[in-house]
Amino acid sequence: MKNLSANDSESGKSKIPVAEGLFHLPSSAEDKPYLIAAKCTQCGYISFPKIPVCPHCAVQDTMEEIHLSGRGKIDSFTIVWSTLPGFEAPSVQSLIKLEEGITIWSLMTGCEASEEALEIGMDVELVIGKVKEDQDHQIVSYQFKPVKNV
Amino acid sequence: MRDVAIVGVGMTRFGKFLDRSPQDLGLEAVWNAIEDANVPMNKIQVAYVGNALGPQLNELKGTIGQHILTNAGFQKIPITNVENACSSGSSALRLACLEVASGNYDMALALGVEKMYTGDSAKAAAAMASGTPYAKLGFTFVAEYALNLKKWMKKNAVTVEHFAKVVVKNTSNGSLNPYAQFRKPLTIEEVLNSRLIANPLTLYMCSSMADGAAAALVCPKSLARKYSSKPLVEVAACELTSGSFPYPGKAPESTTSRTAKIAYEKAGIGPEDVNVAEVHDAMAPAELKIYEELGFCQEGQGGRMIDEGRTTLSGVIPVNPSGGLAAKGHPVGATGLAQIAEVVWQLRGEAGERQVSNAKVGLTQNQGGLVRGDNGACTVTILKR
Ligand SMILES: [Zn+2]
Repeated sequence: MKNLSANDSESGKSKIPVAEGLFHLPSSAEDKPYLIAAKCTQCGYISFPKIPVCPHCAVQDTMEEIHLSGRGKIDSFTIVWSTLPGFEAPSVQSLIKLEEGITIWSLMTGCEASEEALEIGMDVELVIGKVKEDQDHQIVSYQFKPVKNV
Repeated sequence: MRDVAIVGVGMTRFGKFLDRSPQDLGLEAVWNAIEDANVPMNKIQVAYVGNALGPQLNELKGTIGQHILTNAGFQKIPITNVENACSSGSSALRLACLEVASGNYDMALALGVEKMYTGDSAKAAAAMASGTPYAKLGFTFVAEYALNLKKWMKKNAVTVEHFAKVVVKNTSNGSLNPYAQFRKPLTIEEVLNSRLIANPLTLYMCSSMADGAAAALVCPKSLARKYSSKPLVEVAACELTSGSFPYPGKAPESTTSRTAKIAYEKAGIGPEDVNVAEVHDAMAPAELKIYEELGFCQEGQGGRMIDEGRTTLSGVIPVNPSGGLAAKGHPVGATGLAQIAEVVWQLRGEAGERQVSNAKVGLTQNQGGLVRGDNGACTVTILKR
């Protein structure tokens, strides 16, 4: 069974984020990653990725940037055998219900790509890891991995 | 607003046609519709052309509708290109209907075209995913369906056998449809044993890409008789909505349910009155959920619908008599109008071997795109004779 590794420090290529404004890419071991979201100061609605206008209040200037904890539980997951060019197969795609109450789409890492290795409700945490490579870079994105219960 | 009728429909066969261009496909569908309607071509006053992936996959990157229709003999009329992902075709129809209903024009054309086979299937897959910013993170549409269907299966005690039965039904219907890309009926075993794409979805549960075009001509109901002696098919509703933002703690509302509710109200017709439907089975198992969302059964009864054969050609509410996207293939921009063509044929009694009995009210549901976790667009059209 294939293991999806959360450790991708070996290649020596420099890391670039897959997209700007989605997550904080740590620059050292002490620097923690987080997801960048927006929260409505009027109604509390949280959006990830962040958006400038709250669709529920429908007025401008109520959304402010917040950082999500990166802790959550698996809401659904699927082993994906047919992936887009450049992405690993099999891989695991998931819906993660975050502590803050919102559910987001994510790739999974740090686990076997198998139905048996994961379950709905399993505790997961945010990691920033490689999703693909080009000639000079590791392209990194936010992903979630199972929390190892010690 | 004036009552609107579909006076003619036409389509190409869906399939892999490496030697055919979008212009060539579009021309065939448009002239099939013109001949079906018995309307002189110079009576067509306005056109809307649905196409989604042309700018990424085809040589022509813009004004595709003008290129297709100029090639088909048109000049001077207003032509507008419509891109709403997989629901581009039905979105084009809606605009054509509004032109006629408003009194702006008396004869409007809606055309949907897509040319997906280019010899590079990876390019087509990337193009399909490119409508969402998540594509560069590794997101795929099949996985999105799988994630949601998996949750839904668990909640409603639906199994992969239920999923396979939808494919068996649709490919059986498709074997009777000369316009379908795939004419071979599949068995439950063949569906379940085909390779996994994203658990629990197997290859045969996922619609294939295709090349193809479909068209419809709409005019005021009062004018339709002037041209065509075929049974009159009226557009009772043709509604479009976009997605919504789920608010934590509140049940998310499906775009299909929302759009259907608006369409039923506008048409003054309920789900119990619908005799035949073509729905968006881009992943065939989603059809079960769509039964519930359209009100063809109670919530949680989708699996039972297929177990009891209620949606087969001879069932109480036949769904996807054409074979659906599962058998026809899914030429993105053409799909919505091919659904319309099928329902028009069914209502007129012209559907040949796959004809359902005595259908008076037909419905199509066509959805497209993924924007912030919900469909980018969803249309529900209700036709009656
Ligand atoms: Zn708000």
